[in-house]
Amino acid sequence: MSNYYDGLLKLCGFEDAEIENERPRIESSFEKLGIVPADMERANSWVRQNHDVSLEGVRKLLGAWLQELIDLVLSKEEGKKIVYFGFPAILGPGLMLSASSEDVFVSAPDMVLDHTMGQIFNKLTPILESGEANGLPPGHALCSLWQAKIGGIASGMIPVPDLALASSYFCDMGSKADDLVAAQYEIPVAYIDGVMDSKWGEFPEYLPERVHYLGGQINQALEKAEKVLGIKIAPDAWERSQKESRGFVDNLLKLLELMKSDPVPISVVELELLEALSGSSTGRGIREGTKAMSILVEELEERVKAGTGITEKRAPRVMMAAGHCSDPRVTHLIEEAGLAVPLTMVLSWIGGPKIEPKGDYDTPGEKMANYELAAANFHGTDASIKLFEWGSKVMKLDGVIAHYLYNCRPAATTSHAQKKYLEEKTGLPVLALEIDNFDSRSYSADSMRTKVETFAELVKARKRTGYKSLT
Amino acid sequence: MKALDKLEKHLKERLSELSKEKEKGHKIIGYAAGGYLPEELVLACGAIPLCFIQAGNNSILRRSGAYICRWFDPFWRSQIGFITSGKDPYYNIVDLIVVPITDNHVRAFSNTVGYYTPGKELFVFGVPHVKDKLALDYYLQGINRLKKTLENFTGVEMTDSRLQESIGLCNRERELFREISIMRKSGNHMVNSKDFVALNHGSFLADKEFMIDILESYIQEVQDSSMLPKDGPRILLTGSTLARGDSKVLDIIEDCGGIIVMEEFAEGIRPYWGRVRVEGDLMSNLAESYFMDRICPGWFRPGTERLDFLVNLVKEYHIKGLVWYQLIYRESYKVESYFFPDMLRKETGMNMLTLESEYDAMETGPMKTRIETYIETMRR
Ligand code: SF4
Repeated sequence: MSNYYDGLLKLCGFEDAEIENERPRIESSFEKLGIVPADMERANSWVRQNHDVSLEGVRKLLGAWLQELIDLVLSKEEGKKIVYFGFPAILGPGLMLSASSEDVFVSAPDMVLDHTMGQIFNKLTPILESGEANGLPPGHALCSLWQAKIGGIASGMIPVPDLALASSYFCDMGSKADDLVAAQYEIPVAYIDGVMDSKWGEFPEYLPERVHYLGGQINQALEKAEKVLGIKIAPDAWERSQKESRGFVDNLLKLLELMKSDPVPISVVELELLEALSGSSTGRGIREGTKAMSILVEELEERVKAGTGITEKRAPRVMMAAGHCSDPRVTHLIEEAGLAVPLTMVLSWIGGPKIEPKGDYDTPGEKMANYELAAANFHGTDASIKLFEWGSKVMKLDGVIAHYLYNCRPAATTSHAQKKYLEEKTGLPVLALEIDNFDSRSYSADSMRTKVETFAELVKARKRTGYKSLT
Repeated sequence: MKALDKLEKHLKERLSELSKEKEKGHKIIGYAAGGYLPEELVLACGAIPLCFIQAGNNSILRRSGAYICRWFDPFWRSQIGFITSGKDPYYNIVDLIVVPITDNHVRAFSNTVGYYTPGKELFVFGVPHVKDKLALDYYLQGINRLKKTLENFTGVEMTDSRLQESIGLCNRERELFREISIMRKSGNHMVNSKDFVALNHGSFLADKEFMIDILESYIQEVQDSSMLPKDGPRILLTGSTLARGDSKVLDIIEDCGGIIVMEEFAEGIRPYWGRVRVEGDLMSNLAESYFMDRICPGWFRPGTERLDFLVNLVKEYHIKGLVWYQLIYRESYKVESYFFPDMLRKETGMNMLTLESEYDAMETGPMKTRIETYIETMRR
């Protein structure tokens, strides 16, 4: 028997049989989330307006996010032990916990809420407001991703976790907000601490001490998780989780090649869906997301063969670190201004020169730390900027949109230096764009339109007048 | 107070004195605020430590806007403004700047100056945010690297005896600060908070031995004085940073009749409760004292150690009001200011007043109204 949400779920890649099987879970989770029949029309048109639903891969990706949402909302009542981690995170520990017990649910719930309640239902605002009323008030440049997490918990949409895995190696805000949740709900926190204490210009070098410390902290956090959750981490959990993410990485490499085409075959809005999923889910969401990605890659290969894409041929090519997590209009703005976006931060990681991890380490924590420091992700400010420099060469860019998140200190550190550095090193025009990547109430597409359009005109004029893009 | 007058005179002449020391070949080592650089290491190799603690001036803060967005703590943006503008002579005179990186605001400072002022020599090391054996080892590795750097930089080997001597000197300074602070428990002695803060700020710039003389004289003067304690609510002032030049809150509280009897700040007030042991492995002792024994700042996780410490101070110092003075965008303090009031109320029955600043003169009026009201409610 069909119900009010069937149409939307089909639009999001669900098959009839899946809906039928999942119906009680869908209804139970929608009830908790306050999703009602009246929301469907808005959600349908919101999804159609913002996503390329002609692609099955995109529809399935949206579906993967919804599956993650349903699992998240019901995790407590389905008897799971729940672990929340901060975003961005070193994913290894979460993947290992997830791979060690079917009874453990590990996720970044704020990202899930952003991509579903934001990107699908367009109902994120009340959740953010609840976060603001419960410890993270507006006007202080506090993280809006965390506002969604606190708001989701406070409003009873998502469960209180059994353990918080704090990304204390990257961000002060996240770990302190974990303290806030711990104070309010008396939950244990496993802090994975580290210090981003590299000197400007140090990357790709790093001290072995950093690997020992961060790695040791990961190991300790895993031990704590075993105790709190009452599980034993499987001896092959690390290898298994690595193997499972292989499919995703392989597809990402294929995507990188496809994005080199002119015109680019897909919007960065859709790339964001899958890049973010890989950093947020350790369960069904990412498993289904990887399958969706395979479908998407095939579809895009067809587009490339046919010479079709989402912008005009020879549209100037710019990079931006990542698309907006809750409101795709902000990302679309760039493409609407006539710019193609073939490169994101995740693709730069994949496509840039490989920095080999230094030294051999035995413990899972140290292996992860060594990998992450070499991969630049959690190394330091100049590391991420250098990745963009390298990435811009790979993708023959005409410009860079160097956006920075005003309310995320690790990201805002690059506000000015990134523009100057990239302009000097690449010779490309760079637009420093201040945004809030998780909340578009103050940083809406309209508020940025003039800046982006003016920049687009500049880049187009340069290209028209024969300036050579970077090769 | 004669001691304070002497200190002021010393500080006026300090820059020319430092220039002379430089000419004699002594290195001057500047360091970022936060209390995680053991000055003992600098002193033990015959160099002169200077801590950058000036801030409070909005025009310097605005200068930093050319280098970083405004969403960082104004103290650290001020440091960027000072170093890039050359307007703080102390930044100009130092030979090496050491940055113990605590949180992302300090990291932003370190990265920004690293990129925009490549001519300034920087040494950075990290301060972990949790307290455990791994973290202690990491901090120790950091100060060991610093030791080597300083030895190379000055050409002086830090022998145990040199280090013991400098630890002795710094222990003495901490002990004297402690003594002054403890005098305020009873209320029999008249230690003015502004004096205490001025002594603290002075100690970051003054010659160490001179500073010890000043502190000793100050204690003597206080003990000899016949001043009676003032009648007014006893206040604990706490926050991340109390910069030299940021006296607005101190002034207003005093004007409104409050008596600050304790200041708890991570930056701008020297950690003075600890004592470094002079037996055994001296580097390990320094790490133990500076990292493990020190009450952690708000960006440690969990921050409960500091919050418990505040509650204890309230009890021990017979505090009637707690003023939480945070600088805008320092998120660790902002988030704690949400859940600490409950804890404080439960433990002491007291409400706290939260104030926030971006070093803007326009803040004075509203701040005064809030402080007046708070003090008025305490008097009732
Ligand atoms: S402030 Fe930035 S790094 Fe920290 S939790 Fe928010 S988005 Fe993540």
